[in-house]
Amino acid sequence: MTGTDQSSFLGRISIRRNQVNAMEGYHEQEIEDLELFQRQLSDRFTELLSAPDDAPTEAFLSISWIRKLLDVFLCCETECKAILLMERDAAQISKPPLDRLIPELLERVVKAMDICNAVTNGVELVRHCQKLAEIAVSALEQKPFGEGQARRAKKALVSLMSAMHVDDKESSVQKTAERSWSFGRRSGNKDRHHGHYRSLSWQVAKHWSASKQIHAMTMNLAAPRGPEASCLPAPVYILSLIIVFVMWVLIAAIPCQERSGLTTHLPINKHVNWTHSLAGIHDKIGEEWKKKEKKGMAGLLYEMQKMEKLGQSLIEFTDSYQFPGEKEKSDEVAAQVAELAEVCRRMDEGLVPLQMLIREAFHRLVRNRTEFLDVLEQGAPVV
Amino acid sequence: MDGCRSGVPTYEGDLHVVAAAHHIVKALGATKNLSDDLRKILIDLDSHLSMITSNIDSKGGRGLVDVEERLDQAERKIMRWETDPMMIWDSGPKEASDYLEAVDETGKLVDGLRGLSVHENRKQKEILHRAMNIFQTAMSRLEEELIHILVRHGQQFEPKNMYSRSIRKDIVYDESFVSVEDEPTKETSSQNCSNDESGECIVDLVHADVIPDIKSIAKVMFTSNYGPEFCEAFISVQKEALEQYFSFLGTENLSIEDVLKMEWTCLSSKMNKWTWSMKIIVRVYLASEKQLCDQVLGGLGSVSSYCFLEISKATILCLLNFGEAVAMGPHRPEKLLRLLDMYETLADLLRDIDTLFSEEAGSFIQLQFHELLERLGESAIAAFKAFRVAISSNGSLYPFAGGGVHPLNKYVMNYIRMFPEYWNTLNLLLKNQHPGVADQVTKPDYGPDTSLLTSCPMAYHLRSITSCLESNLHKKSQLYKDEALQHIFLMNNIHYLVQKVKGSELRLFFGDEWIRKHNAMFQQHAMNYERATWSSVVSFLKDNNPGSSSMSKSTFKERCKGFSIAFEEVYKTQTSWSIPDPQLREDLRISTSLKVVLAYRTFLGRNLAYTDDKCVKHTVEHVENSLLDLFGGSSRSLRNSRRW
Repeated sequence: MTGTDQSSFLGRISIRRNQVNAMEGYHEQEIEDLELFQRQLSDRFTELLSAPDDAPTEAFLSISWIRKLLDVFLCCETECKAILLMERDAAQISKPPLDRLIPELLERVVKAMDICNAVTNGVELVRHCQKLAEIAVSALEQKPFGEGQARRAKKALVSLMSAMHVDDKESSVQKTAERSWSFGRRSGNKDRHHGHYRSLSWQVAKHWSASKQIHAMTMNLAAPRGPEASCLPAPVYILSLIIVFVMWVLIAAIPCQERSGLTTHLPINKHVNWTHSLAGIHDKIGEEWKKKEKKGMAGLLYEMQKMEKLGQSLIEFTDSYQFPGEKEKSDEVAAQVAELAEVCRRMDEGLVPLQMLIREAFHRLVRNRTEFLDVLEQGAPVV
Repeated sequence: MDGCRSGVPTYEGDLHVVAAAHHIVKALGATKNLSDDLRKILIDLDSHLSMITSNIDSKGGRGLVDVEERLDQAERKIMRWETDPMMIWDSGPKEASDYLEAVDETGKLVDGLRGLSVHENRKQKEILHRAMNIFQTAMSRLEEELIHILVRHGQQFEPKNMYSRSIRKDIVYDESFVSVEDEPTKETSSQNCSNDESGECIVDLVHADVIPDIKSIAKVMFTSNYGPEFCEAFISVQKEALEQYFSFLGTENLSIEDVLKMEWTCLSSKMNKWTWSMKIIVRVYLASEKQLCDQVLGGLGSVSSYCFLEISKATILCLLNFGEAVAMGPHRPEKLLRLLDMYETLADLLRDIDTLFSEEAGSFIQLQFHELLERLGESAIAAFKAFRVAISSNGSLYPFAGGGVHPLNKYVMNYIRMFPEYWNTLNLLLKNQHPGVADQVTKPDYGPDTSLLTSCPMAYHLRSITSCLESNLHKKSQLYKDEALQHIFLMNNIHYLVQKVKGSELRLFFGDEWIRKHNAMFQQHAMNYERATWSSVVSFLKDNNPGSSSMSKSTFKERCKGFSIAFEEVYKTQTSWSIPDPQLREDLRISTSLKVVLAYRTFLGRNLAYTDDKCVKHTVEHVENSLLDLFGGSSRSLRNSRRW
């Protein structure tokens, strides 16, 4: 996302609004602004859709791809808000149908904040996986390699797999939370390594469910029709849709509390041009989700998928390893270890910035809500 | 231990040197453009070295046997625990140090044998792998022992002992502004009995006796490159312990949506709990956790702060998220004090936070704290403004019965009585806020006595609030049809206002001039009341012709009757009126008495000739006594009791 794109767009709106406010032709200008905005949206999502499925960097649903998606989100959010609020008479916002649409939008915003927090917890889990994978990599890279190292690697990889595969249902969370440490010899140690990342702090709240939040956010989310499609309800819909969409992608990609039953159908209006790429991304992720959901999984994050595959295969290797090991196998394993090391490196680089970006999105949603509430308050009829 | 080590090197050392020389010679021999002479020398050297090697090998067979024996011994020590149901560190210090010794020995053998592995020797390789296998078993075991020690010797501390729930304004004003009609809860004089609130309080999260054990495990694992495993295990146990403590404090995770929908009373107690838990978690728990990390991992660079961050991050974010949710919620006036509590707590903890998370990785947490502080400040200002708006817009349809102190007045005054406790914070937050409404009223024209306190931002805002309150009370007084009752109402309420100011630290902010002015105000209303009520009553007793000695009997009778009726009417109405303050009631009765009784006595005295029982319905004493019944709050009548 280029910064200049955005600032010029915002500048344009600001100048326009100042010049033509309360003059004839205001509505035409608005329509033009909206069209420009939608063209930009379309470009951004097309770029995201064009990411390769499998590539060392910038693959579809990779950490860097998600960071890009969040950048797009932040840009859209700013621009959409500019179209809606900049230099605008507050009274316009509090008239029907906006008096209904805006509060609905704000409810979605609140839900999105909780999702951001849930996903932040999820990134912690991914980081935990990264640490375990790093242990496995360092064991597997040891020269000379022997059964001791194979066992060390296997231990880390088994922990990694169970950390990835604990399902995100609440029951398991509670079981973990209530489990008391066993003082007896070596009992209750089995699930220790992944358990703690699924314990209390993993929860947003008791009975909270990411998929239910998405479901609630899509209620009443309908594209404006007829004359409404070209005026204020349009940007409200766009902003709502983008919030829901981005949150949906985050939930699908990154593990978080209770994702079962996550819808694979968002109400995207496919009859307008700008949504084509967005719908493309949606379909692609939806398909993936359907394929993977049943298996119980770590999320569609490219790096996690990769880690899961490599981890599985390396467990098989460590399982069957016997000193001194076969020569021809070691090359193949070395390649996998190198690949796993690369995944770890990308996680190491990307996860903390990703977490900060999610937090930024969270703060943006908080501010966004405050701004809308302020405007609503100004526009509210005096009692 | 070190003596043993030299056993391997004699053998190892020789082998090393020879192997290295051999290697160099071979490498040199591989060079293409060598003179024939040189090549010949190298070939000689090569065969010579080969001879030495085989010599050593025949000797070295003996060396390997030594190594193997030592490994066998260490293996026995390590493997015997694999079938033992006891934990090693539970079994005694001797067992633990024996085990560590065996691990150390194995580690040294692994290192020594590794150095040899340039030289391809099947036997050596086998021993090395066996050693590495044993070593892995030992490391895995140490990890388990570590977890066991941390869990077994982890200590929970009672939060009560740390901070007496020192919420100074605990019980006061949890009710919402809307429920203003209730008598406010009595303030409990729970003083701030904290034990050194600013002082850090560090406890042993893990029993001090086992710290050396944990350190020794850390040392072995880190020197053997098992640091990551150590960290994962350590973080996992400590993180869970923190979370358990967190829920032990009664704090639960709440979604933002939940917080926004929460009832005020519930939210208020959660805000209270947050303030309290935040202090304990940061100042006691995290400070202690940090110390533990430093004790155990001190010498290992950034490892200690990495572990500390991983342990505490999730819980900290939970706490922060609640704060965010509260700050973004509706800015209701009743939230103000709680918000200020949260703000002050956080502001107070910032320094601790900055120290705890001083490393670069922790800057994220630092930043979140600073942002939340800002947000809470904004929210507190918004609640402050909402408070004033609520005061001016508090409307009533009906007059407040009896003319006593209006609940709004009680609510507001009892509420702002708390403000001086937040003096510094409020000044800081209100510095750039204009009081706005009724600005003139708040301008202090106090002349030379203007102290620092009466001109601080909070003082302006306080006066602005009370002037809002006063104008609202004036509006409310207009609801009474009876002018006298209007004055009683205003007298009562302004008197209450002044008393509240005088009786608390508020007086320092309002200043003597304000108090004088308002004293005069309620006294004026008292006088106005007397005029409105008693002028007409007393007018019956007035002598129209002061010159003539007395009035006619019929005039007297008429006056008497008129006075009686008027007095009975006043008695009936005004016994139901109320002056809650006993002193004020007394003062008003006395001054009324002075006026009425004196006039009545003079009137009767002047017309002694006519004062037969029939027409003088009330004696002076009756009148005097009856006046004592006024303003009691329940209506009474004189009609049915013609005679006392």
